[in-house]
Amino acid sequence: MSDREKLVIMVTRGPGDPERATIPFVMAGAALASEVDVVMGFQADAVRLVERGQVDGIEAAGFPPLAKLVADFHDLGGLALVCGPCLKSRGIAADQLVDGAEVVAAGRFVAEITSATNALTY
Amino acid sequence: MTALAETELEVIVADKVVDARGAACPGPLLEAKKAMAGVPLGGVVELWSSDPVTKSDVAAWAGKVGHVFLGSREAEGYDRVLIRRAK
Repeated sequence: MSDREKLVIMVTRGPGDPERATIPFVMAGAALASEVDVVMGFQADAVRLVERGQVDGIEAAGFPPLAKLVADFHDLGGLALVCGPCLKSRGIAADQLVDGAEVVAAGRFVAEITSATNALTY
Repeated sequence: MTALAETELEVIVADKVVDARGAACPGPLLEAKKAMAGVPLGGVVELWSSDPVTKSDVAAWAGKVGHVFLGSREAEGYDRVLIRRAK
């Protein structure tokens, strides 16, 4: 087991709320740059943030483009966990997700959160 | 905020200069992290940022990860933030 700190960031807002969809990735990027392991959990409409192509063109005022933040998160080694039932209810298949995204259910989220140093919810 | 006096900062020669002007948070921080890998231990990165919050953000980041925030100098429309690689 890693002795590094771990931050879990739960996201529930999707592309329809650009600012609340963007800020979790900003926090994740800063945490990864600070040598903190980061797990992002996507539930409800936030699952669309890790659906390929869905964040293209989204840019909240004052922040970098969301697509760049999502790419940075992947490149910096962040782990993206996606709610399976939330995907199913929206008709999104696992092969439509960005590289590295892992489909999970509630038990995995609970395990990640309870083993984290801290957790944030957006 | 400034860790060293202005006169001390003036004489520091950076090993690497990174221009992150125009980048929004967390861009400058990610640029600083990337640049650190390219300087030797004890080397200095000079990060240019037009975001006035960058200097406090970098100071906090450096303290967290174990580098040394040396301070920042004002330039025209941007800050020159100096960090020494310490690990």
